[in-house]
Amino acid sequence: MKPVPEYSRLSIGSVWFVLVCGVSFGETPPDFSREILPILSDNCFQCHGPDANHREAELRLDVESNAKAPRDSYHIIDPGNSAGSELVYHITTDDEFDRMPPIDSIKSLSDDEKGLITRWIDAGAEWGQHWSFEAITRPELPVADAGDATHPIDQIVRHELKARGLSPSPEAARRSLIRRVTLDLTGLPPTPDDVAAYVNDATPDAFGKVVDRLLASPAYGERMAWDWLEIARYADTNGYQGDRTRSSWMWRDWVVDAFNKNMPFDEFSVWQLAGDLLPEATGEQVLATAFLRNHPINGEGGRIPEENRVDYVLDMTDTMGTAWLGLTLSCARCHDHKFDSISQSEYYAFSAYFNQTPVDGSGGSAQTKPVLDFSTPEQHAREAAEQEKIPALAAVVDELELTVFPRAEGEPASKSLKVREFDATVLNPLDGPASKRGSNSLRRILDVAAVGESEYIAALNALLEVVEKREAIAAEMLRVMVMGDREERRETFVLDRGLYNAPLETVTAGVPQSLPALPDGAPGNRLSLAQWVVADDNPLTARVVVNRYWQMLFGMGLVKTPEDFGVQGEVPLQADLLDWLAAEFRESGWNVKHVLRTIVTSATYRQTARVTPELLEHDPDNRWFARGPRYRMPAWMLRDQALAVSGLLVDKRGGPGVFPYQPPGVWAEASFDKFRYQADTGEGLYRRSLYTFWRRTASPTVFFDAQARFVCTVNTPRTNTPMHALALLNDTTYVEAARVLAERALAETRSPKERLEFIFARTLARPPASEESEILLDGLLRHFAEFEEEKSAAAELLEVGDWPRNEDLDPVEHAAWTLLSLSVLNLDETLNQS
Amino acid sequence: MSPIHERERHLSRRQFISHSAAGLGTAGLAYLLGQNGLGAAPSRIGGAEQFGGLRGLPHMAPKAKNVIHLFMSGGPTHVDLFDWKPRLQQMHGEVVPDAYVGDKVFSTMTGAANGKVMLAPIEPFAQHGQSGAWVSEFLPHTAGIVDDLCFVKSLHTDSVNHAPAVTFMLTGAPQPGRPAMGAWLSYGLGAETEDLPAYVVLTSVTQGTTCGQTFNEFYWGNGFLPSRYQGVKFRRGSEPVLYLENAPGISDKMKRNVLEEIAKINERKLHEMGDPEISTRISQYEMAARMQLSVPELSDFSDESKDVLASYGPQANTPGTFAHNCVMARRLIERGSRYIQVMHAGWDQHNSITTELYGQCHDTDQPSAALVQDLKQRGLLDDTLVIWGGEFGRTPFIQGNLGERHRWGRDHHPYAFTNWLAGAGVKPGFTYGETDDLGFNIIKDPVHVHDLQATVLKLLGVDHERLTYRFQGRDFRLTDVHGKIIDPILS
Repeated sequence: MKPVPEYSRLSIGSVWFVLVCGVSFGETPPDFSREILPILSDNCFQCHGPDANHREAELRLDVESNAKAPRDSYHIIDPGNSAGSELVYHITTDDEFDRMPPIDSIKSLSDDEKGLITRWIDAGAEWGQHWSFEAITRPELPVADAGDATHPIDQIVRHELKARGLSPSPEAARRSLIRRVTLDLTGLPPTPDDVAAYVNDATPDAFGKVVDRLLASPAYGERMAWDWLEIARYADTNGYQGDRTRSSWMWRDWVVDAFNKNMPFDEFSVWQLAGDLLPEATGEQVLATAFLRNHPINGEGGRIPEENRVDYVLDMTDTMGTAWLGLTLSCARCHDHKFDSISQSEYYAFSAYFNQTPVDGSGGSAQTKPVLDFSTPEQHAREAAEQEKIPALAAVVDELELTVFPRAEGEPASKSLKVREFDATVLNPLDGPASKRGSNSLRRILDVAAVGESEYIAALNALLEVVEKREAIAAEMLRVMVMGDREERRETFVLDRGLYNAPLETVTAGVPQSLPALPDGAPGNRLSLAQWVVADDNPLTARVVVNRYWQMLFGMGLVKTPEDFGVQGEVPLQADLLDWLAAEFRESGWNVKHVLRTIVTSATYRQTARVTPELLEHDPDNRWFARGPRYRMPAWMLRDQALAVSGLLVDKRGGPGVFPYQPPGVWAEASFDKFRYQADTGEGLYRRSLYTFWRRTASPTVFFDAQARFVCTVNTPRTNTPMHALALLNDTTYVEAARVLAERALAETRSPKERLEFIFARTLARPPASEESEILLDGLLRHFAEFEEEKSAAAELLEVGDWPRNEDLDPVEHAAWTLLSLSVLNLDETLNQS
Repeated sequence: MSPIHERERHLSRRQFISHSAAGLGTAGLAYLLGQNGLGAAPSRIGGAEQFGGLRGLPHMAPKAKNVIHLFMSGGPTHVDLFDWKPRLQQMHGEVVPDAYVGDKVFSTMTGAANGKVMLAPIEPFAQHGQSGAWVSEFLPHTAGIVDDLCFVKSLHTDSVNHAPAVTFMLTGAPQPGRPAMGAWLSYGLGAETEDLPAYVVLTSVTQGTTCGQTFNEFYWGNGFLPSRYQGVKFRRGSEPVLYLENAPGISDKMKRNVLEEIAKINERKLHEMGDPEISTRISQYEMAARMQLSVPELSDFSDESKDVLASYGPQANTPGTFAHNCVMARRLIERGSRYIQVMHAGWDQHNSITTELYGQCHDTDQPSAALVQDLKQRGLLDDTLVIWGGEFGRTPFIQGNLGERHRWGRDHHPYAFTNWLAGAGVKPGFTYGETDDLGFNIIKDPVHVHDLQATVLKLLGVDHERLTYRFQGRDFRLTDVHGKIIDPILS
């Protein structure tokens, strides 16, 4: 084997130097928000922060007036005088009792951190606000340092690179660049024709034309929708016990359309948070609010409805917090937020907006009202036909119950002495007439009905049969769960430790004090909240959203904690870049396509992703962008890519979830045989990943790194386990794609060289290098020999997957090329977008 | 990404690089895949190598290296199995005294507990072993090993329903989304093998049970930890790991060729692009190849002695049963996996305590006892902790109709329940904690779920307050802000 390049032996020490100390030195005083606040927050706020219940020594280091207030004979912080500031004494002393943070805590300050605090106090201890709570202002562009760069992103990036003695990388080769941008913006690879058109386009704006074409293609909306579905914890079933199937896919299709139409993001947000409250709301606006109802539903027997209801309301609250504000509101569920100035009562004040839902938390229906009803007259007619039979059958049951469960006249059956010992699952249905009972209740009553009461049992069974039919018809009807508010306002309480049954004081709907106020006179409903979320003076939303787009294109956000823009989240290294993008986004009218186009047309995005030893040492994670982005694509995109390069992809949009390949038994095992996965045949196998049916309790195994879709997730963890490699090597999806790709190469070209070029062109948008050809064609000979010896193996391999094989091809040759194609589909370059 | 994660990533890159310099890569792959490398299972005994894990861990000298958690899902009835209460017997059919109920919340199946009538233990109890522990006749094999067991009879939990209570027991929080204990431990401690997952989940259910709660993926989730710490759920049948087997028609030899081509081209790419992630990719594919060899060897019980298999009961050779999973758990521990979560569903006897509970005990009693004995005989019990128990107990009062014995049941009871522990670092033949004369409330030495979790971590040499992970700006840990070590049960 070849020696590992010297530059791989990077020094851990120097990495940390860059990461930790990449901030300014010298005469300028330390910046409160970016340098001091993180130290205080990390080390001190636990006991001297916003949480009133765990505050020591009545000291708040998160509040300027408290921290600087003169105490009896001393100051905690005496601006301009570090020697007279107790804070400095406590962080520097060797006295084990006075030392802060306490030596028995797991916190401690480095010498650098102590130095920063000391210098900050000496320079006057200027206070400020946490950076993400400050208004977004468009930074001035550092034109002077930017060389010949004209694109604002490049001007900012080059200014920072220059300050660090780094220089940008050259532009990536066109073939590499078009593959990168096509995968990034559409989740699909470019076709060989797309590549040729770009490579041969000599006009100055050749790349811009590619970007415009991609943003206009319907595949763009599908690509954007995937990430939004993970944020929205979208699934096709409820989750938990029962895990019933929903019909919310119409909302998913709405999301695709909204992205494709380039709906302004503020409108996109308002519709989903409060479309139902817009004046004369359209069906589409109401449908958008299904976003809020995508939370799991717990239909477990015996579950206390109010506990569920509170869970659902708080889930909506947390989702809004993470998706738009980038705040970890859920920390304030049980206590005042330890770090961010959001109190427990402010958290519940947020929840009050969602607490007006008419949902009561009972039952496990996947169509719990309010719903948007897409049921058909034909379905209703069938349902009504069954319903008509019920009164007569129920009357028989009611009549018999008078004798089966004797009780005082006028009392319900549940009052009979005979049912005294039954549990609530029996007693509750016996409280009312038989016509009101669902199939579950009827089955419970049948369970306890005494054996001798054969007439009664027969009557119950007759009723049950019709009720079951009616329920089956109801289940066919498309009803999308959407948001609504009940008429009577529900009081909202602070819940002690977040427990549904431990209400403390009441709160009214409102937004936290540390963020801009609502406009005067704004009604206390979700529409006000939605409009506040995207208001011009909201400092968070635009930053949070553009950061996610940066993450989508560069593999990591400018703030690498996209879920947390609070004090404990990362302070952006490139704050100017983030703010410039946020301002551009907001001022463009929340134009998503515009902001994406702006990023991908920058020279920064278009750089080669090649890593030099120098860059690896100074910027291992590419936080300063002296090279282009390179990251492993998520599993869903890898599947789409395999379908596209083999030509199997069925380009059809929307509709109910489909059932592509899955190893047998996954659902059955997860549900103890309650659910069985039945893969589709034909086009359902080859639709884009976005349309795959998502069972929440057993997510599709082919998406090996997907989010669990239980709670809102904005992070894209990218780890590589051996199990991922096994899926890509052995799953029918990829083996079939390799087989069909090989088939097309064999059918459309003649020489091995042409065939290899065909496969490379479709998969990697480039011809193979001679060394690669050598390796693969050598391998091909070995595969040939193997299959020649074992012809039945070739036949078996060519049977993998549903796609009929081309019988005209020689099976041995076809099988050998299938293995070669499988290798190409598994190359690191294939798995990365660059 | 958290700073810890960051550090770890750099660490893993560096590890890979030293790995690579030591001669892996294509040559290493060829070696691993060559005839000499086939099928040789590494031994954990003698010179155990460590893969992954954080620097600075364990925090203290560990008593246990591995955990086998026999998780009995659904809420085993403590008053029918271990917590013998003569007065419950005497009060059969009488109304539960209000003083016991207080303002306790029960599931909506019970509603208010006031007025419910007591249900006597179904089977007789007897004392066993030198320790004199009480065990009911439901569990004759467990009764035979009580001197190896440490009973904790005073566990209590926060939730009255399955999903939150199971999630709490396994992840330390009632809502989904936190890392499971096994994920925490494989994150902190790594494993002694690279060929098998550090954290494995095995599931089973008693045939014909009507009350088996399904298992949610977040019961073994990685939460906010990197996904490689997620429990790998082995499946029943011939392919325990998803996508383990070659596609039809692809022989092992062909697969080696394919992997070799991929590795060669990836190495070339590494030189061209310089991205260390490419070396991660190369090692990822190497590990996949090794797993394809090691898992079939693991699942092949032909090297087990007949007597040993027989000790686990008649189902030991039937994949997908609890008995089979117990044998598998021991084999995994022997091969260096860290944490095995063996889950058996169906302990939720709302109306089947006189019927289905028998099958439930039949399927689990003998294998659980055999596992402890087998580990002990092999000297593995010295550094393996075995935990047996569910997410809560069951009500001393009846659910159902006293006149219908065939439908007797008990509802969920989070206020007191029993688990047992065995092996490394816990006192054998010991009982801790006590409930009142009806098994209703704890009267001595309560143990909260977080206390149990803190204690398990301590046995593995981990300070539960110091194994933390920064997520959403907070240093999360398994035990939230709680957890006291149960010192008296430590040997």
